[in-house]
Amino acid sequence: MEISQTQLDVLREIGNIGSGHAATALSTLLQRRIGMSVPEVWTVSFEQMTGIIGQLDDPQAVIYVKVEGEAPGKAVFFFPVESAAIVVQALFQSEETPDLYADELVQSALKEVGNIMVSSFLIALSQFSGIPLHPSVPALAVDMAGALLDAILLEEGTLDEKVLFIDTQIFGIPRIEGQFIFLPGAGSLHKLLGALGL
Amino acid sequence: MSNVINVGMADYKTASTPDILMTAGLGSCVGVCLHDPLLKVGGLAHIMLPKANGKTGDNPFKYADTAIALMLGEVLALGGMRGRLRAKMAGGAQMFSFPGKPPILKIGDRNAEAVAEELKHLGIPLVTFDTGGSFGRTIHFDLKTGELRVRTISHGEKII
Repeated sequence: MEISQTQLDVLREIGNIGSGHAATALSTLLQRRIGMSVPEVWTVSFEQMTGIIGQLDDPQAVIYVKVEGEAPGKAVFFFPVESAAIVVQALFQSEETPDLYADELVQSALKEVGNIMVSSFLIALSQFSGIPLHPSVPALAVDMAGALLDAILLEEGTLDEKVLFIDTQIFGIPRIEGQFIFLPGAGSLHKLLGALGL
Repeated sequence: MSNVINVGMADYKTASTPDILMTAGLGSCVGVCLHDPLLKVGGLAHIMLPKANGKTGDNPFKYADTAIALMLGEVLALGGMRGRLRAKMAGGAQMFSFPGKPPILKIGDRNAEAVAEELKHLGIPLVTFDTGGSFGRTIHFDLKTGELRVRTISHGEKII
Protein backbone atom coordinates (compact mmCIF):
# COMPACT_ATOMS: atom_id res chain seq x y z
CA MET A 1 0.00 0.00 0.00
CA GLU A 2 1.20 3.49 -0.86
CA ILE A 3 1.76 5.79 2.10
CA SER A 4 1.36 9.54 1.72
CA GLN A 5 3.54 12.05 3.50
CA THR A 6 0.64 12.97 5.82
CA GLN A 7 0.04 9.34 6.70
CA LEU A 8 3.75 8.89 7.34
CA ASP A 9 3.70 11.87 9.70
CA VAL A 10 0.74 10.40 11.56
CA LEU A 11 2.45 7.02 11.90
CA ARG A 12 5.54 8.75 13.23
CA GLU A 13 3.34 10.59 15.71
CA ILE A 14 1.72 7.30 16.77
CA GLY A 15 5.23 5.99 17.34
CA ASN A 16 6.18 9.08 19.24
CA ILE A 17 3.24 8.99 21.64
CA GLY A 18 3.22 5.22 22.08
CA SER A 19 6.96 4.78 22.47
CA GLY A 20 7.06 7.80 24.79
CA HIS A 21 4.60 6.07 27.10
CA ALA A 22 6.57 2.81 26.86
CA ALA A 23 9.86 4.56 27.68
CA THR A 24 8.26 6.33 30.64
CA ALA A 25 6.94 2.98 31.91
CA LEU A 26 10.44 1.50 31.68
CA SER A 27 11.91 4.50 33.41
CA THR A 28 9.45 4.16 36.30
CA LEU A 29 10.07 0.44 36.53
CA LEU A 30 13.86 0.70 36.58
CA GLN A 31 14.10 4.04 38.40
CA ARG A 32 16.46 5.24 35.70
CA ARG A 33 16.42 7.87 33.04
CA ILE A 34 15.27 6.38 29.75
CA GLY A 35 15.38 8.31 26.51
CA MET A 36 14.23 7.51 23.02
CA SER A 37 14.92 8.52 19.45
CA VAL A 38 12.41 10.16 17.15
CA PRO A 39 10.58 7.13 15.69
CA GLU A 40 11.27 6.17 12.11
CA VAL A 41 8.66 4.64 9.83
CA TRP A 42 10.30 2.14 7.48
CA THR A 43 8.86 0.42 4.43
CA VAL A 44 11.66 -1.92 3.46
CA SER A 45 12.39 -5.43 2.26
CA PHE A 46 12.95 -8.15 4.80
CA GLU A 47 16.68 -8.14 4.04
CA GLN A 48 16.91 -4.41 4.69
CA MET A 49 14.96 -4.83 7.91
CA THR A 50 17.54 -7.24 9.26
CA GLY A 51 20.17 -4.55 8.66
CA ILE A 52 18.20 -2.19 10.88
CA ILE A 53 18.09 -4.73 13.71
CA GLY A 54 21.83 -5.43 13.72
CA GLN A 55 24.12 -8.34 12.90
CA LEU A 56 22.14 -11.47 12.10
CA ASP A 57 23.91 -13.69 14.61
CA ASP A 58 24.31 -11.12 17.39
CA PRO A 59 22.83 -12.44 20.63
CA GLN A 60 19.84 -10.40 21.68
CA ALA A 61 17.04 -10.77 24.20
CA VAL A 62 13.83 -10.35 22.26
CA ILE A 63 10.45 -9.86 23.87
CA TYR A 64 7.62 -10.47 21.47
CA VAL A 65 4.04 -9.42 22.20
CA LYS A 66 1.15 -9.91 19.83
CA VAL A 67 -1.24 -7.00 19.59
CA GLU A 68 -4.81 -8.24 19.65
CA GLY A 69 -8.02 -6.36 19.02
CA GLU A 70 -9.51 -4.62 16.02
CA ALA A 71 -6.17 -3.64 14.52
CA PRO A 72 -3.85 -6.56 15.29
CA GLY A 73 -0.09 -6.38 14.94
CA LYS A 74 3.18 -7.29 16.55
CA ALA A 75 5.26 -5.41 19.10
CA VAL A 76 8.86 -6.46 19.60
CA PHE A 77 11.69 -5.28 21.86
CA PHE A 78 15.25 -6.06 20.91
CA PHE A 79 17.81 -5.75 23.70
CA PRO A 80 21.43 -6.73 23.07
CA VAL A 81 22.25 -9.27 25.80
CA GLU A 82 24.55 -6.80 27.63
CA SER A 83 21.67 -4.29 27.89
CA ALA A 84 19.16 -6.97 28.87
CA ALA A 85 21.50 -7.96 31.70
CA ILE A 86 21.64 -4.35 32.92
CA VAL A 87 17.83 -4.10 32.78
CA VAL A 88 17.55 -7.22 34.94
CA GLN A 89 20.20 -5.97 37.37
CA ALA A 90 18.31 -2.70 37.73
CA LEU A 91 15.04 -4.55 38.31
CA PHE A 92 16.51 -6.89 40.91
CA GLN A 93 18.74 -4.16 42.35
CA SER A 94 21.56 -6.65 42.15
CA GLU A 95 25.11 -6.50 40.77
CA GLU A 96 25.10 -10.19 39.94
CA THR A 97 25.34 -11.11 36.26
CA PRO A 98 22.00 -12.72 35.39
CA ASP A 99 21.73 -15.92 33.36
CA LEU A 100 19.50 -14.77 30.52
CA TYR A 101 19.48 -18.17 28.86
CA ALA A 102 18.34 -20.44 31.68
CA ASP A 103 17.19 -18.55 34.79
CA GLU A 104 13.40 -18.59 34.76
CA LEU A 105 13.10 -15.75 37.24
CA VAL A 106 15.29 -13.56 35.01
CA GLN A 107 13.28 -14.52 31.99
CA SER A 108 9.93 -13.79 33.59
CA ALA A 109 11.28 -10.41 34.74
CA LEU A 110 12.19 -9.55 31.14
CA LYS A 111 8.77 -10.69 29.92
CA GLU A 112 7.20 -8.43 32.50
CA VAL A 113 9.28 -5.50 31.22
CA GLY A 114 7.94 -6.21 27.75
CA ASN A 115 4.40 -6.56 29.03
CA ILE A 116 4.46 -3.24 30.85
CA MET A 117 6.06 -1.37 27.96
CA VAL A 118 3.74 -2.78 25.32
CA SER A 119 0.68 -2.20 27.48
CA SER A 120 1.68 1.45 27.86
CA PHE A 121 2.25 1.73 24.12
CA LEU A 122 -1.15 0.21 23.37
CA ILE A 123 -3.05 2.31 25.87
CA ALA A 124 -1.64 5.40 24.19
CA LEU A 125 -2.41 4.05 20.74
CA SER A 126 -5.96 3.07 21.70
CA GLN A 127 -6.65 6.48 23.18
CA PHE A 128 -5.22 8.20 20.14
CA SER A 129 -7.11 6.11 17.59
CA GLY A 130 -10.21 5.05 19.51
CA ILE A 131 -9.50 1.44 18.51
CA PRO A 132 -9.37 -1.01 21.42
CA LEU A 133 -6.08 -2.93 21.44
CA HIS A 134 -4.60 -5.28 24.00
CA PRO A 135 -1.38 -7.28 24.41
CA SER A 136 -0.99 -11.06 24.37
CA VAL A 137 1.05 -12.83 27.02
CA PRO A 138 4.67 -11.95 26.14
CA ALA A 139 7.12 -14.49 24.73
CA LEU A 140 10.87 -14.18 25.28
CA ALA A 141 13.81 -15.70 23.45
CA VAL A 142 17.52 -14.99 23.84
CA ASP A 143 19.25 -15.93 20.63
CA MET A 144 20.55 -14.70 17.27
CA ALA A 145 18.76 -11.50 16.23
CA GLY A 146 18.22 -12.68 12.64
CA ALA A 147 16.81 -16.03 13.74
CA LEU A 148 14.30 -14.31 16.02
CA LEU A 149 13.30 -11.76 13.42
CA ASP A 150 12.69 -14.39 10.73
CA ALA A 151 10.53 -16.39 13.14
CA ILE A 152 8.41 -13.32 13.92
CA LEU A 153 7.98 -12.20 10.32
CA LEU A 154 7.38 -15.61 8.77
CA GLU A 155 5.05 -16.90 11.47
CA GLU A 156 1.96 -16.78 9.25
CA GLY A 157 3.71 -18.54 6.40
CA THR A 158 3.68 -15.52 4.12
CA LEU A 159 5.95 -12.57 3.52
CA ASP A 160 5.22 -9.41 1.62
CA GLU A 161 7.92 -7.85 -0.52
CA LYS A 162 7.94 -4.81 1.76
CA VAL A 163 7.51 -4.69 5.51
CA LEU A 164 6.17 -1.56 7.19
CA PHE A 165 7.12 -0.90 10.77
CA ILE A 166 7.64 1.85 13.30
CA ASP A 167 11.09 1.78 14.85
CA THR A 168 12.21 3.57 18.02
CA GLN A 169 15.61 3.41 19.64
CA ILE A 170 15.54 3.32 23.43
CA PHE A 171 18.52 4.25 25.53
CA GLY A 172 18.93 4.36 29.28
CA ILE A 173 21.52 5.76 31.51
CA PRO A 174 23.84 4.03 32.04
CA ARG A 175 24.49 1.63 29.18
CA ILE A 176 21.05 0.40 28.16
CA GLU A 177 20.31 0.21 24.47
CA GLY A 178 17.25 -1.27 22.94
CA GLN A 179 14.96 -1.08 19.98
CA PHE A 180 11.20 -1.14 19.92
CA ILE A 181 9.38 -2.18 16.78
CA PHE A 182 5.69 -2.07 16.02
CA LEU A 183 4.46 -3.96 12.98
CA PRO A 184 0.82 -3.34 12.06
CA GLY A 185 -0.82 -6.48 10.69
CA ALA A 186 -2.35 -6.72 7.21
CA GLY A 187 -5.30 -4.34 7.11
CA SER A 188 -4.50 -2.78 10.49
CA LEU A 189 -2.62 0.14 9.03
CA HIS A 190 -5.65 1.07 7.00
CA LYS A 191 -7.89 0.76 10.03
CA LEU A 192 -5.62 2.87 12.23
CA LEU A 193 -5.24 5.59 9.63
CA GLY A 194 -8.97 5.45 8.92
CA ALA A 195 -9.78 5.89 12.60
CA LEU A 196 -7.61 8.99 12.56
CA GLY A 197 -9.57 10.38 9.62
CA LEU A 198 -6.91 9.76 6.96
CA MET B 1 43.05 -19.23 0.07
CA SER B 2 39.42 -20.01 0.63
CA ASN B 3 36.82 -17.30 0.40
CA VAL B 4 33.89 -17.21 2.78
CA ILE B 5 30.86 -16.31 0.69
CA ASN B 6 27.87 -14.94 2.55
CA VAL B 7 24.42 -16.09 1.44
CA GLY B 8 21.66 -13.63 2.34
CA MET B 9 18.06 -14.43 3.18
CA ALA B 10 15.98 -15.65 0.27
CA ASP B 11 19.09 -16.16 -1.82
CA TYR B 12 21.49 -18.88 -2.89
CA LYS B 13 25.12 -19.00 -3.97
CA THR B 14 27.15 -21.66 -5.70
CA ALA B 15 30.92 -22.14 -5.43
CA SER B 16 33.74 -24.65 -5.65
CA THR B 17 36.63 -25.80 -3.48
CA PRO B 18 38.27 -24.31 -1.43
CA ASP B 19 35.50 -21.78 -0.84
CA ILE B 20 33.13 -21.81 2.10
CA LEU B 21 29.48 -20.78 1.84
CA MET B 22 27.86 -19.39 4.97
CA THR B 23 24.53 -18.02 6.12
CA ALA B 24 23.87 -16.42 9.50
CA GLY B 25 20.96 -16.42 11.92
CA LEU B 26 18.66 -19.15 10.64
CA GLY B 27 15.51 -19.26 12.77
CA SER B 28 12.50 -20.85 11.13
CA CYS B 29 14.39 -20.55 7.82
CA VAL B 30 16.31 -23.54 6.46
CA GLY B 31 19.78 -23.61 4.93
CA VAL B 32 20.08 -26.35 2.32
CA CYS B 33 23.37 -27.41 0.70
CA LEU B 34 24.08 -29.41 -2.43
CA HIS B 35 27.52 -30.98 -2.91
CA ASP B 36 29.30 -32.98 -5.57
CA PRO B 37 32.02 -34.73 -3.51
CA LEU B 38 34.15 -35.61 -6.54
CA LEU B 39 34.28 -32.24 -8.25
CA LYS B 40 33.89 -30.40 -4.92
CA VAL B 41 31.34 -27.93 -6.20
CA GLY B 42 28.02 -27.09 -4.65
CA GLY B 43 25.61 -24.49 -3.40
CA LEU B 44 23.83 -23.15 -0.35
CA ALA B 45 20.29 -21.72 -0.31
CA HIS B 46 18.62 -19.78 2.51
CA ILE B 47 14.99 -20.87 2.28
CA MET B 48 12.35 -18.78 4.04
CA LEU B 49 9.03 -20.44 3.23
CA PRO B 50 7.81 -23.83 1.98
CA LYS B 51 5.89 -23.22 -1.21
CA ALA B 52 5.40 -20.46 -3.72
CA ASN B 53 1.94 -21.86 -4.50
CA GLY B 54 2.23 -20.65 -8.04
CA LYS B 55 2.63 -17.02 -6.95
CA THR B 56 4.22 -15.32 -9.89
CA GLY B 57 6.26 -12.16 -9.80
CA ASP B 58 7.44 -13.10 -6.33
CA ASN B 59 11.08 -13.78 -5.51
CA PRO B 60 11.51 -17.52 -6.29
CA PHE B 61 14.56 -17.73 -4.03
CA LYS B 62 12.29 -17.46 -0.97
CA TYR B 63 10.62 -20.83 -1.43
CA ALA B 64 11.80 -24.43 -1.07
CA ASP B 65 9.85 -25.61 -4.10
CA THR B 66 11.40 -23.04 -6.45
CA ALA B 67 14.84 -22.08 -5.06
CA ILE B 68 16.39 -25.55 -4.82
CA ALA B 69 15.70 -26.41 -8.45
CA LEU B 70 17.22 -23.09 -9.56
CA MET B 71 20.30 -23.71 -7.43
CA LEU B 72 20.56 -27.25 -8.82
CA GLY B 73 20.69 -25.85 -12.34
CA GLU B 74 23.62 -23.66 -11.39
CA VAL B 75 25.50 -26.47 -9.62
CA LEU B 76 25.13 -28.60 -12.74
CA ALA B 77 26.39 -25.71 -14.85
CA LEU B 78 29.52 -25.65 -12.67
CA GLY B 79 30.12 -29.24 -13.71
CA GLY B 80 28.42 -31.02 -10.82
CA MET B 81 26.96 -34.39 -11.79
CA ARG B 82 23.39 -34.95 -10.77
CA GLY B 83 23.86 -38.58 -9.77
CA ARG B 84 26.71 -37.67 -7.41
CA LEU B 85 24.99 -34.83 -5.57
CA ARG B 86 24.34 -35.08 -1.84
CA ALA B 87 22.25 -32.69 0.26
CA LYS B 88 22.35 -31.48 3.87
CA MET B 89 20.14 -29.04 5.70
CA ALA B 90 19.94 -27.13 8.98
CA GLY B 91 17.51 -24.70 10.59
CA GLY B 92 13.73 -24.89 10.80
CA ALA B 93 13.44 -23.94 14.47
CA GLN B 94 10.42 -22.77 16.43
CA MET B 95 11.91 -19.70 18.13
CA PHE B 96 8.98 -18.49 20.24
CA SER B 97 6.31 -20.19 22.24
CA PHE B 98 3.28 -18.52 23.74
CA PRO B 99 1.96 -20.28 26.83
CA GLY B 100 -1.31 -22.07 26.18
CA LYS B 101 -1.22 -21.24 22.49
CA PRO B 102 0.28 -23.93 20.31
CA PRO B 103 1.55 -22.42 17.07
CA ILE B 104 -0.87 -23.02 14.23
CA LEU B 105 1.65 -23.23 11.46
CA LYS B 106 5.02 -24.34 12.89
CA ILE B 107 6.66 -22.75 9.91
CA GLY B 108 10.12 -24.13 10.82
CA ASP B 109 8.91 -27.73 10.62
CA ARG B 110 7.05 -27.03 7.42
CA ASN B 111 10.15 -25.48 5.85
CA ALA B 112 12.25 -28.53 6.72
CA GLU B 113 9.56 -30.87 5.38
CA ALA B 114 9.23 -28.87 2.16
CA VAL B 115 13.01 -28.94 1.59
CA ALA B 116 13.13 -32.72 2.18
CA GLU B 117 10.19 -33.22 -0.15
CA GLU B 118 11.71 -31.09 -2.89
CA LEU B 119 15.06 -32.93 -2.65
CA LYS B 120 13.21 -36.22 -2.97
CA HIS B 121 11.36 -34.86 -5.96
CA LEU B 122 14.68 -33.85 -7.56
CA GLY B 123 16.21 -37.24 -6.72
CA ILE B 124 18.98 -35.86 -4.48
CA PRO B 125 19.64 -37.85 -1.28
CA LEU B 126 19.41 -35.89 1.97
CA VAL B 127 22.33 -37.46 3.81
CA THR B 128 22.08 -35.60 7.11
CA PHE B 129 20.26 -32.73 8.75
CA ASP B 130 20.07 -30.70 11.95
CA THR B 131 16.63 -29.14 12.22
CA GLY B 132 13.99 -28.22 14.78
CA GLY B 133 14.49 -27.12 18.37
CA SER B 134 14.03 -23.56 19.55
CA PHE B 135 17.37 -21.98 18.78
CA GLY B 136 19.03 -20.10 15.94
CA ARG B 137 21.81 -21.47 13.76
CA THR B 138 24.66 -20.03 11.72
CA ILE B 139 26.07 -22.46 9.18
CA HIS B 140 29.30 -22.79 7.19
CA PHE B 141 29.46 -25.22 4.29
CA ASP B 142 32.94 -26.29 3.21
CA LEU B 143 33.02 -27.20 -0.49
CA LYS B 144 36.34 -29.00 -0.07
CA THR B 145 35.07 -31.53 2.48
CA GLY B 146 31.30 -31.27 2.19
CA GLU B 147 31.17 -30.63 5.93
CA LEU B 148 28.44 -28.43 7.32
CA ARG B 149 29.39 -26.62 10.53
CA VAL B 150 26.37 -25.62 12.62
CA ARG B 151 26.98 -22.96 15.27
CA THR B 152 24.44 -21.94 17.92
CA ILE B 153 24.60 -19.51 20.83
CA SER B 154 23.55 -21.78 23.67
CA HIS B 155 23.40 -25.26 22.13
CA GLY B 156 27.01 -25.73 21.11
CA GLU B 157 28.53 -26.32 17.72
CA LYS B 158 28.62 -29.42 15.57
CA ILE B 159 29.72 -30.66 12.20
CA ILE B 160 27.31 -32.76 10.20
